[in-house]
Amino acid sequence: MSASTSAHPWVLKHHFDNLHQQHASERLGMWMFLATEILFFAGLFGAYTVYRMWYPADFEFASSHLLWKIAAVNTFLLVTSSLTMTLAIRCAQTGDRKGLIRNLFITAALGSGFMGCKAYEYYTDFEEHLLPTPAFYESEVYKGEGSHDLPHVNAERVKHHLEPISAERVRLFLCFYYAMTGIHSIHLAIGIFVVLWLAVEGMRGSLPPENYSTVEVVSLYWHLVDAIWLFLMPLLYLAGAGMHGH
Amino acid sequence: MSNPNSTSKPFDATEDADNPSTIYLVYVSVIGLAIATIALSQMGLRSLALPVQMAISTVQAVLVAYFWMHLRRKDKVVTLTVLSALFWTGILFVLFLSDFVTRWRGGL
Repeated sequence: MSASTSAHPWVLKHHFDNLHQQHASERLGMWMFLATEILFFAGLFGAYTVYRMWYPADFEFASSHLLWKIAAVNTFLLVTSSLTMTLAIRCAQTGDRKGLIRNLFITAALGSGFMGCKAYEYYTDFEEHLLPTPAFYESEVYKGEGSHDLPHVNAERVKHHLEPISAERVRLFLCFYYAMTGIHSIHLAIGIFVVLWLAVEGMRGSLPPENYSTVEVVSLYWHLVDAIWLFLMPLLYLAGAGMHGH
Repeated sequence: MSNPNSTSKPFDATEDADNPSTIYLVYVSVIGLAIATIALSQMGLRSLALPVQMAISTVQAVLVAYFWMHLRRKDKVVTLTVLSALFWTGILFVLFLSDFVTRWRGGL
C-alpha cells in the first residue's frame, strides 16, 4: 500500500498533471486500440457467420473432425492465464514485486502452453491432410471408409434425401479455421512477448505501485485475446459436436 | 473520467484494487461456463446449439470485461469506447447480413 506524496513521482510523465490523469489516459489509449481489434475480428466472425448460415451441414461435418479436446485444454490454459494476469495487477498495486513477477511468468507460461497445444493440433491436422488446399483430397476424411468420413456420411445423406456434404465447402471451413486460429495465435504470441517484457521490467524495479497501470494496459490486451478465444472455440470446434468425428 | 485533473487527492494505487475473492469467483464462473458449453454441445441441441453457445460466450466475455478488464469502474470515456466498438460491430453485422441472408447463396 503506498500513496505518492512526492510532488513529481518519477513515473509521472511531463505532459500529465497527475498520476490519475496519466493512468486514465493510458487505459483509454489501450481501449481505443482494443476497439479496433474488436472490429478486426468482427470481420472474420461476420464472414464465418455468412458461410455457416449458407452451409451449416458442411461446416458441422468439418468441425466434427477438429480436436475439440485440445481446444478445451486451451480454453482452460487461456482463462487461467487471464486469472494470473489479473492477480499480477493486484500485486503491482500492492507493491508485491515477487508476486507480480511470478504471476507474469506464469501468465507467459500458460500462454506458451496454449501455443504448444496449438502447434501439436496444427501438426495433427497437417498429418491428416485437414487442409484448405487440394491436399484435402488425400485425407482419410475425404476418401476414407470410416463411418465419419465423407463417403459414408454422404451415402447416408443421399439415402435420407439430404444434400451431400461438399468437399469444397469443407475446405472453406478449414480456410476459416486456419485464418481465425492463426491470427488469434499471432495476437497471443505478441501478448506473450509483451508479458515477458513486463516481467523483465518488474525485475528491474520499473513497476512500482505508482506505475501499476502499465501492467493493467497489457492485461487489457491479454483479456481481449482471451475473450476472442471464448467465442472462437465454440464456433469452430463445437459446431459439429455430437457428430463424433474425433 | 472522474475528474482526472484533480491534484488534491494523493495517489493511492490500492484505491481500486480488485478483491481476490472476486477475481477467483469470476475465474470459477468462466471455467464453469466453458465446461457447460462443451457439455451442452454434446447433448444434441441441433439448431439451438449455436445460440446457446454464443449466449454462454457472451456471458463469459461480459464477466471478463466487467470485472477483470475493470469496466466496473464506470470510467465514462472507456465505457463510451467499448459501446462504440460494439455499435460499429453491430453496424457491420446488420448491414452485410441483411444482404447475404436475403439472397440465394451462390458459389460453392
